[in-house]
Amino acid sequence: MTTMPRLVRAELFKLRTTPGPWVCFAVVVLLTGLGITTSFIVGQHGVVHFTAPTTTTQLRRLMGAGYTSAIVMAPVLGVLCITTEYRHRILTATLLIHPRRPDVLVAKVLASAVWGVLMAVASFVMIGAMGIPLLVAEGGSFSHLLRQVGPVMPGMFAAYVLLAVYGMGIGTLVRNQIAGVILALGLSLVLEPIIVAIFGSLAHMDVNFLPTRATQALAGSLSARGPGGGAGGTSSALLSWWLGAIALVLWGTGTAVLGYFTTFRRDVT
Amino acid sequence: MPAVNASVRAASIEVKSLTKRFGAVTAVDDLSFTVEPGRITGFLGPNGAGKTTTLRILLDLAAPTSGSCTIGGRPYRDIPDPSRHVGAVLEATNFHPSRRARAHLQMMAIEAGVASPRIDTVLALVGLTADAKRKVGGYSMGMRQRLQLAGALLGDPSVLILDEPSNGLDPQGIAWLRDLLRHLAAEGRTILVSSHLLAEMAQTVDDVVIVSKGQLRAQGPLSILTARAQSSMRVRTPEVDRLSEIARGAGFAPRQLGGGALLVDGATPEALGPLIASNGVVVHELVQVSQDLESLFLELTTSMTTRDQPVPAVTR
Repeated sequence: MTTMPRLVRAELFKLRTTPGPWVCFAVVVLLTGLGITTSFIVGQHGVVHFTAPTTTTQLRRLMGAGYTSAIVMAPVLGVLCITTEYRHRILTATLLIHPRRPDVLVAKVLASAVWGVLMAVASFVMIGAMGIPLLVAEGGSFSHLLRQVGPVMPGMFAAYVLLAVYGMGIGTLVRNQIAGVILALGLSLVLEPIIVAIFGSLAHMDVNFLPTRATQALAGSLSARGPGGGAGGTSSALLSWWLGAIALVLWGTGTAVLGYFTTFRRDVT
Repeated sequence: MPAVNASVRAASIEVKSLTKRFGAVTAVDDLSFTVEPGRITGFLGPNGAGKTTTLRILLDLAAPTSGSCTIGGRPYRDIPDPSRHVGAVLEATNFHPSRRARAHLQMMAIEAGVASPRIDTVLALVGLTADAKRKVGGYSMGMRQRLQLAGALLGDPSVLILDEPSNGLDPQGIAWLRDLLRHLAAEGRTILVSSHLLAEMAQTVDDVVIVSKGQLRAQGPLSILTARAQSSMRVRTPEVDRLSEIARGAGFAPRQLGGGALLVDGATPEALGPLIASNGVVVHELVQVSQDLESLFLELTTSMTTRDQPVPAVTR
């Protein structure tokens, strides 16, 4: 067996034998359930109804019910993938077995991506197990929902994967686990909306290349609110899906490469 | 004790002119030494002597400021599948507390490409088979040390580098470790072990490398180093200056210790006794100084003036 598959297998094994990633997994399921529920809440003439989504936008919100969990938990998973090694000094054991650090970093990127896929699968399983029965029970159209699989599902999978890699990059940069989690969440949930709002109101500029906005473009550029009730912005203000994907790839690889050159090459003490 | 693979290829460890600076602090200062296969070499020095830094550089966990380290003629990073050739124990905290001991070794085995049955072999070797399914967070310090050692032995390496491996071990554990190291060295493996437990080291090691303030103070077989140290005589006399002159004239190197005492390095009772008698020197006490590893260590590492002292490097 060549080295890289071994390294990736070891990274996946590390993730599945610690509780952190499983907590992330559980939160993904929970947030997706919440997203499903909110996609059935429709306001009409100032009155809120719990009813089956019928419009394209509403159906895509249901199909993209895992959007919030992707934004929140995929980067956290990526952060855990690398910072757990620093926190418990497991990196020493890792590097003793394989001292070529770029390989280790690539293996972690790939392992984060695989867990991103697993999170996406969990999210869509939840939609299948909860969202579809609820839709049918409320009298919605299953066939209309199926039409939204193509526009939403590939983008959502890509978003989970790329956001997990982005989180891994953040973890490589900061090394401290708590700081990494706070930074990943703070950037997505606090800093980005502020930046978008400031540039939007003061300079009338659409800052579309930031991770959350790029994710919106990738996973649901059709939505005025973003799937699952994400942050604001209209579809016209978002990047096209492939530019969103490129932006996320650049955020992920950029932070990882920067982290490699600034922290990952340092002495391990 | 389960047998380990005897088909090991011996490899020496070579440290050449190694220097490591952390800002203004020089942790390792132009350090050079060699560790030979088939022997247990004790790497000794007081706290802050640069032992751990040297080992970390040797294992490519830290970069040297200058100099080089090789194992079997290669830098660690250039050794293909290094864990199959070099096993290391650095500290007993490299575990995720929620991971079970067997899973920890499995993680290492996957990365190293080692077959799973070897995990059971090393668990048995370190006496952790019964506790293999427990989470490491519940392990005692001694059990963690054993688990570290199991990890180091996973690839059946020909070189073992152990930093304070007896930390946390009870007396039975220390005796067990001593037997294990002896067993492994007898198979031709190269073993470099650092420790503060000098009495234990004296029973375990064949060779010593003594460092202080990042510099080499002594290197060689322990038996030769201590035998040479044993040839000192301590004399208490009211005629210190006169005896110093007589001893110097006879080719010895006397040192005044204060309180009317003189230490005559290189002297034996058979050589010094007749000299004292023939010159009619009054002596109150004549003692052969029986030095062991601890006294040798203390002599070499306390009140040193670094470069102005010669490094006693001896060969077998």
